[in-house]
Amino acid sequence: MARRRPANRRARWAAPAACALTLALAACSAPADEPAVAAERDWDDVLAEAEGQTVRLWMYGGDDKGNAYIDDVLAPAAEELGVALERVPIADTADAVNRVLSERQADVPDGEVDLIWLNGENFATGQQAGAWLCGWTSMLPNMEYVDPDDPLLTTDFGLDVNGCEAPWHKAQFALVYDEARVEDPPGSIAELLAWSEENPGRFTYPAPPDFTGSVFVRQVLYEVSGGVDDVPLEFSQEAYDELAPELFRRLEEIEPSLWREGQTYPQDLGALDQLYADGQVDFTMTYGPATLPDLVADGTFPATTRVLLVEDGTIGNASFLAIPATSGSQAGAMVVANLALSPEQQLAKARPEVWGQYTVLEQDLLPEEVQAGFEALPQSEILPPYEELSEGADPEVEAVWVTALDEGWRRQIAAG
Amino acid sequence: MTAPRAVLAASRAGRTLLAGWLVLPLVPLLLWAFADRWTFPAVLPQEWGTRGAEEALAAGAGGAFLTSTLLGTVVALLATPLGAVAGRALASRQVPGGTAVLAVLLSPLALPPFAVALGLDVLLLRLRIPAAAGVVVLLLVAALPYTVLTMRAAYAAHDRGFEDEARVLGATRWQTVRSVQLPLVAPALAGAAFLAFLVGWSDYIVTVLVGGGQLTTLPLLVASAASATGSDAQVAILSLTSILPPVALLLVVGSLGRRGRR
Repeated sequence: MARRRPANRRARWAAPAACALTLALAACSAPADEPAVAAERDWDDVLAEAEGQTVRLWMYGGDDKGNAYIDDVLAPAAEELGVALERVPIADTADAVNRVLSERQADVPDGEVDLIWLNGENFATGQQAGAWLCGWTSMLPNMEYVDPDDPLLTTDFGLDVNGCEAPWHKAQFALVYDEARVEDPPGSIAELLAWSEENPGRFTYPAPPDFTGSVFVRQVLYEVSGGVDDVPLEFSQEAYDELAPELFRRLEEIEPSLWREGQTYPQDLGALDQLYADGQVDFTMTYGPATLPDLVADGTFPATTRVLLVEDGTIGNASFLAIPATSGSQAGAMVVANLALSPEQQLAKARPEVWGQYTVLEQDLLPEEVQAGFEALPQSEILPPYEELSEGADPEVEAVWVTALDEGWRRQIAAG
Repeated sequence: MTAPRAVLAASRAGRTLLAGWLVLPLVPLLLWAFADRWTFPAVLPQEWGTRGAEEALAAGAGGAFLTSTLLGTVVALLATPLGAVAGRALASRQVPGGTAVLAVLLSPLALPPFAVALGLDVLLLRLRIPAAAGVVVLLLVAALPYTVLTMRAAYAAHDRGFEDEARVLGATRWQTVRSVQLPLVAPALAGAAFLAFLVGWSDYIVTVLVGGGQLTTLPLLVASAASATGSDAQVAILSLTSILPPVALLLVVGSLGRRGRR
């Protein structure tokens, strides 16, 4: 009988604990899914509140130059404004979004994420849950240098930005080839596909949902649909049913002449880059051509690496800084976003030896000495200037398209 | 009668093969760690240097090493005594429903850590548990199966007669634990602590989701470096940095185990 007592005691302890647990789980009182809107106020007011705050910037940590730019250039400049900027390196931006969604669900007033570098699907996911602070970018003084009608900056993968994220860089999808191995480089996506059929085993692309492989598939979608104007950027099942079959037919057609007869695809961009670096294929591709001169300089890529300029233009996008609604240092985060947008910082960041990221600022709106600074940026043999690269740039389709195409590719190309 | 020579030779060959199988994967890692330039189809790096180490240091490898060590140590310090207590109770068969209790203790092995971390994250946040404490608590649960199993096996083979004898001879309860029980299970304790340390040392998903970016450990750095192109040297250095402490610990634990058997 003596043995029963501990069990009873345990039960008595367990009951309230279970209640507390259930309460904690059930007390969802799900926070409204509409975004939190920042109160319109004076910038000096924001600066004063930001003083002494710590801002934790979560960003993809695999880019050494990007990391160094934050640590050595942006953070010291923020320090002068009294804001401590801390970088949190992550392997995947979705990790940061998951964190914010958890904090939002738990109604945390002072979350660990104050600023995230993101775009596209990650932005859309958070927006759906009302996880971002909105209506704050118009308060940033440096927004005056941004073209208010630039479609690349007012929408993010088809979704209205609505002042819920501040622009940071522009990016341009680029096809990359080795001049020494490709004698007569193709001049358009259609020619590239034809080239791959004439040169079996010398071309492939990363398997979607890899970010870059997925862009390539959309680039082919634009091509087989007769141009970007014939693809509605807003997703609809009818448009998908009309356009996708032709896309997958063409991709299936070139499959036998791809690397390893298309029986397998590089799992991610890193794998394709490795194949290219090892000379097993003649092309690679990137959404961040700014890293190319560095990869050539350190010998990863051959010295004869060049960017392919295609006449129909390639897909371009922008990436942004978003402030979670759960951040406890929102004023500080705004100050950092404004600083990152300043002509000085955008120019420093554009220098190839610093980071080489394309600016989001409109040249005509900039002070003359800054314009001169941008013009004086060293030209690279490998990398054409942004104006040339982004000529006839295609917009991104809505994020729903991306998911649908990735899924379609998996079913019809990977499994087919 | 000694073993025939052929058996000895076979045993030696087997051990050499096993050692080779474990060590060979480290060779390219070592080469990459000090390769400033190594492109296909060269068999050996074309340029040697310390670029990888410099990049790793710039990425914060020093601080991450300390954080990882601290996290592994805290998990080991908590999980080992808990595992010992639970293992002893389970081995003595005095726990009602012992099999069920064991099943519950082992269940973290069967649950995908991502689902657990994602699900419990909201709960921990709602209970306002500090991020670092949340990470330790979750990793502690993940480490318990290893320590409980190790210690249950150790206590199953442990003869309580020695303890009874010490008590009969007038030793206090605490003296018995300290001078009789602990020395007898020391090798198992070291093994359990080693496994628990590894759980904290090598975790990625709990640290990133629940830790809220407050803990930048080595696995976090390895993951971000490995997701980029052209950072093989840095990844190699970081990976070696993550392998060496456990190997050193393993040697210590191994020698403890040998001493214990003597």
